[in-house]
Amino acid sequence: MNLAFAMTAASPALLSIWLLPLVGAIVIWTLGPQLRRNAGYLGSAFVLVSFALALANFGAAGNATGLRAPLVTWGPGFAFGLQLDALSLLWTLVITGVGGLIHIYSIGYMWTDRAIARFFAYLNFFVFSMLTLVLADNVVGLLVGWGLVGLASYFLIGFWFYKPTAVAAARKAFVINVFGDIGIMFAIFACYAATGSIAFSDIFAKAGTFSEPLVLAICIGLFIGAMAKSAQVPLHTWLPDAMEGPTPVSALIHAATMVTAGVYLIARFAPLWNLSPTAQEMVAVVGAITMVTGAILGMAQWDIKRILACSTMSQIGYMIMGVGVGAYQAGVLHFFTHAFFKAQLFLGAGLIIHALGDEQDVRKMGGLYRKMPFTFAAMLTGTLAIIGFPFFSGFYSKDAIIYEALEHGHPILFFAGALTAGITAYYMFRMLFVTFFGSYRGDVPDAMLAIAPPVPGAYAAHDDGHVEHAPTWLMQAPVAVLMVPTVIAGYLTIGGESSPWYRYFGTLFGHGGNVAGVPLAIPEWASTIFVLVLVTLGIVVAYLRYGNPPALIGAVDRLRGEALKMPPVLAHAFYVDALIATAIVRPANALGGAISRYVDPHVIDAGVRDVAWVAGMLGALFRALQTGLVRAYALTIVVGAACFIAYFAYLGTAR
Amino acid sequence: MPVDIANYISLSTVIFFIGVIGVVTRRNPLIVLMSIELMFNAANLAIVAFSKLWGNNAGHIFVFLVVTVAAAEAAIGLAIVVQVFRRAKHVDLDEVAGLRG
Amino acid sequence: MIAALVVVPILAGLALYLVPRSAEHLAKWIAVAIAFGAFALAISQYGAPDESLRWLSRPFAANFHVGLGKGPSFWIVLLLTLSTGCALMVTRVPRARDFIAQMLVLLGAMTGVFIARDLLLFALFWDLMLIPVFITLVAWSPTKSNATAWKYLVYNLVGGLALLLATAAYGIVQGTTDVIGVDPKSLATISDTWALWICLGFGFAFFIKTPVWPLHTWMPDTYADLPAPMVAIVSAVQSKAGLYGFIVIGLALFPGVMHAIAPVAFVLGLIALVYGALAALVQDDIKRVVAYSSLSHLGLIILAIFSFSPIAIGGAVVYIVAHGLFSAGLFMTVGEIELREDTRLLSRLGGLGGRNPKLAGGLTIVALAALGLPGLCGFAGEILILTGLYRAGFVWQTVVALVPVVIAAAYMLRVFQGVMHGPEHDDLPEREDLSLLEGLALAPLVIAIVLLGINPGPVTHLDTFTRSVAAASAQSTLAILKK
Repeated sequence: MNLAFAMTAASPALLSIWLLPLVGAIVIWTLGPQLRRNAGYLGSAFVLVSFALALANFGAAGNATGLRAPLVTWGPGFAFGLQLDALSLLWTLVITGVGGLIHIYSIGYMWTDRAIARFFAYLNFFVFSMLTLVLADNVVGLLVGWGLVGLASYFLIGFWFYKPTAVAAARKAFVINVFGDIGIMFAIFACYAATGSIAFSDIFAKAGTFSEPLVLAICIGLFIGAMAKSAQVPLHTWLPDAMEGPTPVSALIHAATMVTAGVYLIARFAPLWNLSPTAQEMVAVVGAITMVTGAILGMAQWDIKRILACSTMSQIGYMIMGVGVGAYQAGVLHFFTHAFFKAQLFLGAGLIIHALGDEQDVRKMGGLYRKMPFTFAAMLTGTLAIIGFPFFSGFYSKDAIIYEALEHGHPILFFAGALTAGITAYYMFRMLFVTFFGSYRGDVPDAMLAIAPPVPGAYAAHDDGHVEHAPTWLMQAPVAVLMVPTVIAGYLTIGGESSPWYRYFGTLFGHGGNVAGVPLAIPEWASTIFVLVLVTLGIVVAYLRYGNPPALIGAVDRLRGEALKMPPVLAHAFYVDALIATAIVRPANALGGAISRYVDPHVIDAGVRDVAWVAGMLGALFRALQTGLVRAYALTIVVGAACFIAYFAYLGTAR
Repeated sequence: MPVDIANYISLSTVIFFIGVIGVVTRRNPLIVLMSIELMFNAANLAIVAFSKLWGNNAGHIFVFLVVTVAAAEAAIGLAIVVQVFRRAKHVDLDEVAGLRG
Repeated sequence: MIAALVVVPILAGLALYLVPRSAEHLAKWIAVAIAFGAFALAISQYGAPDESLRWLSRPFAANFHVGLGKGPSFWIVLLLTLSTGCALMVTRVPRARDFIAQMLVLLGAMTGVFIARDLLLFALFWDLMLIPVFITLVAWSPTKSNATAWKYLVYNLVGGLALLLATAAYGIVQGTTDVIGVDPKSLATISDTWALWICLGFGFAFFIKTPVWPLHTWMPDTYADLPAPMVAIVSAVQSKAGLYGFIVIGLALFPGVMHAIAPVAFVLGLIALVYGALAALVQDDIKRVVAYSSLSHLGLIILAIFSFSPIAIGGAVVYIVAHGLFSAGLFMTVGEIELREDTRLLSRLGGLGGRNPKLAGGLTIVALAALGLPGLCGFAGEILILTGLYRAGFVWQTVVALVPVVIAAAYMLRVFQGVMHGPEHDDLPEREDLSLLEGLALAPLVIAIVLLGINPGPVTHLDTFTRSVAAASAQSTLAILKK
C-alpha cells in the first residue's frame, strides 16, 4: 500500500526545478477561467524560478555525480530517479531560460485568445515534460518524458482544435512520435535484458560486456526514437505540418527544445555509441541526409514558418551528424546556439505574422524593414547566426561540426555540410529579401500594422470596434534578450580544447568515434574559408534572384509564377507523405475494414452460425413432441414408467 | 395377526393406477389434482408397509415429507387453476396449451 | 467480513426490488453506498486471513472459502468496487431501479469470482455473473431482437460448462477443490492425461471469457448493446476473469500443461493483438472501437501470462487493473457522449470540445491511458509486460507486440479527435458540459489511472499468493529445460 514517494536523500533543489512547472500547469489549469491573462505571468514566473534554481545549482551539477533525487521503485531493477549532471543541466538551462522568455512573449502573442489560460497550462506542462526527459536518471524515465513532450506538442499543435488542418497535423505528429517511442521501448527491453536495470549508470557500467550486435540493436532502437522526435528523414514529415500551432509553440517546442531531444538522447548514450562505429556511421549519414533534404525543401517554401521549419530540420541534421561522427561537444554546442537563434527567428516571424493579421505567406509581405525596424534587426541577426556568418554564434558551432566530420574521417559528410551551409545562406537570405525589401504586397492597411489582430476565438472587440492589444514591449523584450546569446554564445568555444565549453563537459562523452579513415590533410582555417566561400555564394545568388532592384520590381507576378514552376518532387516534399500513406496507412485501414466487414461477420461468425443451425434443427425436431397437452405429457410419463418397469421385470426374470 | 406385505402392495398398486388413469383421462384439473393425491397416498402406503416390514422408522419420516409436499403441491396447483380460470374463463386442460412448441 | 463483499451486494440487489419503482434516486444512492462501502471494506481487509466454511465433503471436499490476500484478488476487487461505484453514480437508464439491482447482483457475483479460493465456488460465481448481463441485454437492449443476448449467453455458457466439468473432474481426481492459492507443492500430483484435459477445460472457458481470437465475436456486439454503466464494469472486470483464472489456476495448478499449450496461446495472443488493433482502426461506433481495442490489449496479457516471466506476470496484473480503469473510464465517457448527442457514431460526432471542455479533458486522460502514454497506467503495464517478454527470450514476439502500440495511438486519437475536435457540427444538439456529479464519478478513475501510472510497484508486489504462482512457473521452466 506504499503509494507515497520514497524521498530519501533527494535534492530539494532538483525536485523543485522539476516540479515547479508542473505545479504551474496544474494551478493554471484549475484556476484558468479566473486567471485569464494573469495565467501568462504566473506561468512565466514558475518557469523562470525553475531557471533561477537551475542556474544556482550550476556548480553542484558540474561535479562528478551531479545532483540526484531517487523517486519511486516499481520492482527489481525498475528504480526511478532524477539526476542533474553537466549534460542535463545544459538542456535544463535552455528549456527553462529560453522557455521562460518564450512564455513572456506568448503573453503578448496570445493576448486576445479566449483560451489563453489553457495555452499556458499546456506550455508549463511542456516544460515539465521536457525536464522529465532530460533529468531522468534511467531510460524508462526518459521515455516517460519523451512521451509527455510528444503529448504536450500534440496539444499545442492542435491548440486551435476547431481548425481541421491543425487537428490532422497534431495527430500526425503524435502517431509518428509514438512510432519513435517503440524504438526506445525496444532499446529499454534490450538494456534491461542484458543488465537487469534501467538506470543509465548500470547500463553504461556494463556496456563493455555487451556483444557488438546487441549494442547495434540498442542503438538502432534509440535512433528510431531520435529520428521521430528530431524529424530526421524519413520521419520528418510531421515537422512542417506542426507549424499549424501558435508561433511561440513553434519557437519553443519545434525549434529550440523538443526537436533536439534526439541529440540529447545520442549524447546521453554516448558510451554505447562509442562502442559501435556502425551505429555512429548510421547516425551521421541519416543526419547528413536530413541536413541536405531540409535545406533543399527550404528553398521551395513560401510560408515563412515552413521555411523556418525546414531550416530547423536541416540544422538538427547538423547536430545529429555532429554527435554521429563523435563530435559530441560540437553537436551539443550547435543545439545550444541553435536554441537561441532559431527561437529568435521564430519569435521574429511571430512579430511579423502578428502584425500582418495572421499572414504567413512571404509573397504577401515585402518592404517591411521600414515599418518594423526592430523585427528586421532581430531577423537579420538570427539569419546571420544560422548561416554561420563569422562572429555570430552559429559560425562557431556549425564550423566545428563540419570540420570535425572531416577530422573523424568522413570527407563526404564534410562536403555535404559545407554545401548545405551554402544552400542555407541562399534560402535564408531569400526569405529575408522577399519579406523585408521591395514594396509591400499584402492588403493590411498601414495604420493597422503592428496592432494585434483579432485572432480566431479572440475576446470580442470592444463595441466601438477598437481591438485590445498587448503592450509592444511584452513581445519585443524577449526577442531583444535573445539577440545577446544569438551573437555571443559561440564565444564559449574560443580556445579549442581548453575553452570553457570543452572544459565544462570534461570526459562526459568519453572517447571514441575516431573512425580510422585518413583525414584530408587540411587545417581548420582552410575548411572555414571553404565554407565561407559557399555561404557567400549562397547570399549572392539570393541577392541576384530576390534582392536587387530589378528583381524586386514586378515581384508579385514573378513570385506567383515561380510557385507554378516548382518541381513537383519538391512541392510534394519528396513524396514521403504519399509513400507512408500508400505503404502503411492505407493497407492498415484496408485490413481493418476487411476484418470488420468480412472476416468477423462472414468467416468467424459463420462457423458459429453453423453450430447454431445444427442446434436449431435438433430443436425443430424435438419441438414436435411439445404438444402442450398436459394429458399427453402424463401419458408419456406413464408409458416411460411402464418401459422402466418392464425392463426391470425382464432383468428380474433373466436372473 | 400380521397382514402379509403383498396385500399392502397390491392395494397400493391398485390405488396408484386409479390415480394414473384419472390423470390421463380426465380434463378437469381438479379431478387431476385429486388423482395425483391418490398416487401420493398409494406411495405413502407402500413406504409405510416396507418401513414396518424392515422395522425402520425412516419410512414414517418420509411419509411426513410426502404429506407436506403433497399439501404444497395442492396449494400451488389450485392457485394455478384459479389463475388459468381468470385468464381463460374455463379450466379445460386440453385447451390450456400455451406452452406448445 | 470478506464474505460480506459477496453476500451484501447480491442480497441488496435482490432487496432493491422492494424499493418503489419511482424512488430511483434512493435505489441509486443505496447502490452507490454499497459499492463504495465494499471498496472501503476491501481496503480494510488488505492481507486479512481467509475465511472458510465447509460446504461439501462428498464426492470431494469443497469449501465456501474466500480470501483477498495482497495480490491480484485484492487489486481487482478494488478496481471492481471502485468502477462499479463510479458507474452507478452516473446511471441514467429507463427502469433505473431494476437496472441498478442487476448491477449490484453483478457486483457481488464478480467479486465472488475474484475472491473464491475454491474451484467449485469459483465456477458457481463464474456462471452467476452471466445472469445479470444476460437479463440486462434482454431487457435494456436498444434493438428488438435478443440475438446479442443469446450470443453472449451461449458463448459464455459453453465456456461455463467446460469450466464446471473441469472443476468436477479436478475435484474427483484430487479429492478437494479448495486449492486456489495454496502452495502447489502441498498438492498431490495428478496424472498428465487428467491434467491435460482438466486444464484444457479451464483454458477453453478462460479463452472465451477473455476473449481470445477467434472466440471473440460475442464481445463487440455485447459491448455495443449493453448500457454504458454495465459495459463499463463488464469490460473492466468481467473480461479479466479469464486472465485471472489463467494466473491463479492455470499457472499454479497446471504449469506443465500451460507450457505445452503456450505456443498456441502465443500465436492466438499475437493474432488478437494485431487483429483487434486493425479492426479498431475502422469502426464507426465508438463502443466497438473500445471493444476491439480490448481484444488487442487483452492479447498482450495472454502473452505475458504464457511467457512465464515473473516480471511479465507482475506486469500482467498491473495491466489487468490498468485496462479495467481506462476501459471503465472510456465506456463511461462514451455513455456521457451518447447521452448528450444521441449517437456514438464517429461519422456523426465532432467539435464537442469547445462546449464540453471537462468531458474532453476526461476523455483525453482515459484515451491517453489506453494508448499507452508514458506516465499513465497503461504504459506501466505495457512496459513491464514487454520487458518481461523480451527478458524471457521472446524477442520477435516482443517486436510484433510493439506494432499495435502505434496503431493504438492512431485509433485512440481518431476517437478522441473525431468526437472533440474539428468544427462544431450544426446538426448535433447543444448540451451542457459534465455536471459536478458526472465529474466526481470520473475523478476517482482518473486519479487511479495517474497513481497507478506513477507507481505500479504495490500491484506487482509478489505476496505469498502470487509467489507460489511465480515459483510454479519457475519450477516448470526448469522441468521443461531438463526434458
